[in-house]
Amino acid sequence: MAFEVTAPAEGSTAEASLPAALRIRDLVKRYPTGTEALRGVSLDVAPGELFGLLGPNGAGKSTLIHCVTGLALPTSGTIEVFGHDAIRHAGRARELVGLAQQDLNLDWFLTVEETLDYHGGYFGMPRRERRARVTELLETFSLTEKRDERTRTLSGGMKRRLVLARALMHRPRLLILDEPTAGVDVELRLELWHYVQRVRDEGTTILLTTHYLEEAEQLCDRIAFIANGEIVAEGTSASLAEQFGVSGLEDAYLEIVGRKELSRARMSAE
Amino acid sequence: MTATQIRFLALLRREINRFLKIKRQTVGAPMLETFLYISVFGAALGSRIDKLHGIDYVVFIIPGLIMMAWAMNAFSNNASSILQQKFQRSIDDQLSSPATPLELLLAFSLGGFLRGMTVSTLTFVAASILVDVPVEHVLVVIPALFLVGFFFAQLGVLIGVRAEQFDDVSFAQTFVLQPLIFLGGVFYSATLLPEPFETITHFNPVYYMIGLVRYGFLGFTEQNVALSLVLLSLATLALFAVNLRLFVSGYKLRA
Repeated sequence: MAFEVTAPAEGSTAEASLPAALRIRDLVKRYPTGTEALRGVSLDVAPGELFGLLGPNGAGKSTLIHCVTGLALPTSGTIEVFGHDAIRHAGRARELVGLAQQDLNLDWFLTVEETLDYHGGYFGMPRRERRARVTELLETFSLTEKRDERTRTLSGGMKRRLVLARALMHRPRLLILDEPTAGVDVELRLELWHYVQRVRDEGTTILLTTHYLEEAEQLCDRIAFIANGEIVAEGTSASLAEQFGVSGLEDAYLEIVGRKELSRARMSAE
Repeated sequence: MTATQIRFLALLRREINRFLKIKRQTVGAPMLETFLYISVFGAALGSRIDKLHGIDYVVFIIPGLIMMAWAMNAFSNNASSILQQKFQRSIDDQLSSPATPLELLLAFSLGGFLRGMTVSTLTFVAASILVDVPVEHVLVVIPALFLVGFFFAQLGVLIGVRAEQFDDVSFAQTFVLQPLIFLGGVFYSATLLPEPFETITHFNPVYYMIGLVRYGFLGFTEQNVALSLVLLSLATLALFAVNLRLFVSGYKLRA
């Protein structure tokens, strides 16, 4: 099931016929303060793949996502979404991307239904299509009874589900989930995993950032570790463990962040 | 309907929906405020004031009040709406959509513009019930009010984009806009002011806006109408160009 190729050869036939869902080359993001959040990141995510991006706080995960979705403007480099330039001609690329951010960034003035309806409108969906999709998503995410309530009255779990539903509203081909399970209880986390797997089974490509290594291990086809704005390792969970000569993803992660003394395997052996 | 039209309507509907959902604050309060101005300055004090340039005082102040309602509401709506959305980060939903900078700017601008138009239209209707408000030059009133509304809508967008806290918006409103509007001659004629205040008033752009609107309603002005219209158009265009540049560059909107 895993997509084993890291980056297709430049100008290859396969690349021309089947563009990567996400293709990032030499991406640099330098903030006006001088902080270099991304230092030449290159990455390929294949269509249909569930790709995990792991790294400590401040590693550059959210900046990378913001660059892909237009919320941050890259300093240099290229980003393509299914072959469409996401920086210079962003309109077409953005149509294909759905973003569920870590923050519950819902509009307090809108009801649950309006949140989804307006989002569909922003992506050019006709009214009839929006209505059908809203009904479908409210049902899927168990929010039908809350459709007329303002978003600020929802519980944290409901807000989290609504953020995910909103990202799916316009049927994106690439879904970006930034820490979707951060701070949620076990029940909701499992519920969200279920949704993510369902979306993936429908053929949607997913880029997932998470702090939970077991989440990445269980859900992702391939994983990239990002640290200090650079991709430092990339592969399947098993190949990453093999690459670092450890037993699992957690130990590989600890090797990368330079904290191998925290390894549970090492501690129990000692 | 094309995808672009659907998108623009959705962006605009969101802005209109926002101010209609809090209409007691966004429409009701400004209406009451204007009614109080008419009552206090027009009916109560006005009866003690002689005519100004041959016009009843209460009638003299109504064009300025209508303009002020449009200006203040267009400004405060846009500044608050953008800042609130930035604060909640819900603006990311629009910013990560395929909407172009021009579509976003127009939608944000028109939200306040339409709120201002609603309040000033209701003000006009209410004032017309209380006193006889003439409309001498409708072809001046309409473009003048539209330009004033659009100018302040742009100013609201500019402040909303630049603002980092709610204090920034209220500072601009309380310490810059309100003095400019009040000292621009809403409640008096600049010719009544002693020097150097009369001359100073001529450097206040709002003075020319009020003059234009007053000319449209009452047929009286202290300024050159054509020149004022041209200058107001140029100022509005310049402000629009500045805002468009901010939206294209993502200034304080995109990281």
